[in-house]
Amino acid sequence: MLEIRSARKVFYRGQADEKIALDGLSLSLATGEFGIVIGSNGAGKSSMLNAISGALILDSGQILINGADVTDMPVHKRAAKLARVFQDPMRGTAASMTVAENMLLADLRSSKRTLRQGLNATRLASYKERLSILGLGLENRMDTRVDLLSGGQRQSLSLIMAVGGSPDLLLLDEHTAALDPRTAEIVMQATVRAVSALKLTTLMVTHNMQHAVDYGNRVIMLDAGRVLLEVTGEEKARITVIDLIGHFSVKTDRMLLAS
Amino acid sequence: MGFIQDVLASFVAIMPVTLAQSLILAFVVLGIMIPFRMLNFPDLTSEGAFPLGGCICGVLLAAGASPLVGIAAALVAGFAAGCCTAFIHLRFRIHTLLAGILMMTMLYSINLRIMGKSNLSVFGSPTVFDWVPFARPGFPASKIVVAGLLALIAFMLLHMFFRTEKGTAVRAVGANPDMAEAQGINVWAATIGGVGLASAFSASSGALMVQSQGFADVNMGLGILINGLAALMIGEAVVGKQTVWRQLLAPFAGAIIYYQLVSFCLAAGMPPPDLKLATGLFVLAMLALPSLKRSRGSAPAREAIRE
Repeated sequence: MLEIRSARKVFYRGQADEKIALDGLSLSLATGEFGIVIGSNGAGKSSMLNAISGALILDSGQILINGADVTDMPVHKRAAKLARVFQDPMRGTAASMTVAENMLLADLRSSKRTLRQGLNATRLASYKERLSILGLGLENRMDTRVDLLSGGQRQSLSLIMAVGGSPDLLLLDEHTAALDPRTAEIVMQATVRAVSALKLTTLMVTHNMQHAVDYGNRVIMLDAGRVLLEVTGEEKARITVIDLIGHFSVKTDRMLLAS
Repeated sequence: MGFIQDVLASFVAIMPVTLAQSLILAFVVLGIMIPFRMLNFPDLTSEGAFPLGGCICGVLLAAGASPLVGIAAALVAGFAAGCCTAFIHLRFRIHTLLAGILMMTMLYSINLRIMGKSNLSVFGSPTVFDWVPFARPGFPASKIVVAGLLALIAFMLLHMFFRTEKGTAVRAVGANPDMAEAQGINVWAATIGGVGLASAFSASSGALMVQSQGFADVNMGLGILINGLAALMIGEAVVGKQTVWRQLLAPFAGAIIYYQLVSFCLAAGMPPPDLKLATGLFVLAMLALPSLKRSRGSAPAREAIRE
């Protein structure tokens, strides 16, 4: 379960270009719920994800994951509870290390790292099995350096790394936006399968209105650092792309382009 | 013909001495490689940590301490110096190179304070090289055995470490610190520990050098960094750096080859004062090679710093 209580963050406070990124934002996501976050550029989507992951320290407000207050926890401590897939495939993987080593790093996300050997036969076998679900042949390239993979393969790897170990919270930051349409579809399908199979509490930021309509059971629209609209249940099931775009105020043409 | 024979004869004659020296200095090369390649933290601390280890060991030997105590103290002091450099970089967001320059400048004064004078003779004090059976003390054979054994142990321990869970995490910090942090790795701890470990190796090299040459000098670190870099470049060119095993072997192989090359150049009549210029040109050439290969046109005005 994720709970954000009146989160507030101001950049460049007191300067001419002061920017209110989060303006008392409150949000709650029940366990197993799949929330889709939409909103125009600068609405606070990235700030919100950064605040949840710990990369951004709030001026005020609280963030709770499964009831535990993580507001003052550094990024590496929160990592035990949450996993994140970035828009840029380069950010979520260690380029100069092999596929197997990257899987190992993710595997140890929430446990204490020891002085025992990292990669062993048991682990390799389980990583191969998990990667084979994608059908991209990554399971045969365990010793390949990740920077030799394509963007789509890297992003698929990031996804498998993130959902492994069933994190309490999965953050997806426009994770298919940088991919070609076919690869984006493969990654999106893999995401939906993993989220529903593992019943992961998920928050996905997207500019793709079709994704917002097709997936998830709650749509959250942000504007100027606040929740402008929340659609859930029956209403969410019936909503269309046209309905969603209708909610974007004057700044709609950018969103139309993006959808 | 006579000239070539003379050169070869004098080169071969000093080969064992050079080998002993290069095995001792291989630890500095290791201390340069670990931050540079494993942590993506180009570090200059070794230029100060090497004499730091030497000075501490010298003072302890002069006071009658066991040579092992001297090395252990050098390790601890070097570790602390490396930790300071990493902390300066992490806490105050100062560039790693500048943090290293600050640290080595401050270490110069500290080294002088430790010794109380600029050099100290410890000739005749017991050394770790005395303990080799069947070898006359003070001769290169015993130094080769001791330094070679230590190098082998360090290589094997590091090779094991970088394949453990913790070691993989340290390498991830070098490969992608943001990703490492998101995977629950404490980037500060890994960086401080890793750079500290590297400086500990540099300092232990200084301690061994003092025991080998019989005196400590505050200026003994002068130019050690550029020599170490040159050795590392040669090692990587010869054994490669694609795997952890090769990357760890490169400092040792590089040190051995580099110092033999230097001794050959000196035997061939190169004036010693030109050595630093030659070494600098060599390192520059090795660093410039990739960009010369990549494109014939001039590089963009300000690319990312080449590493």
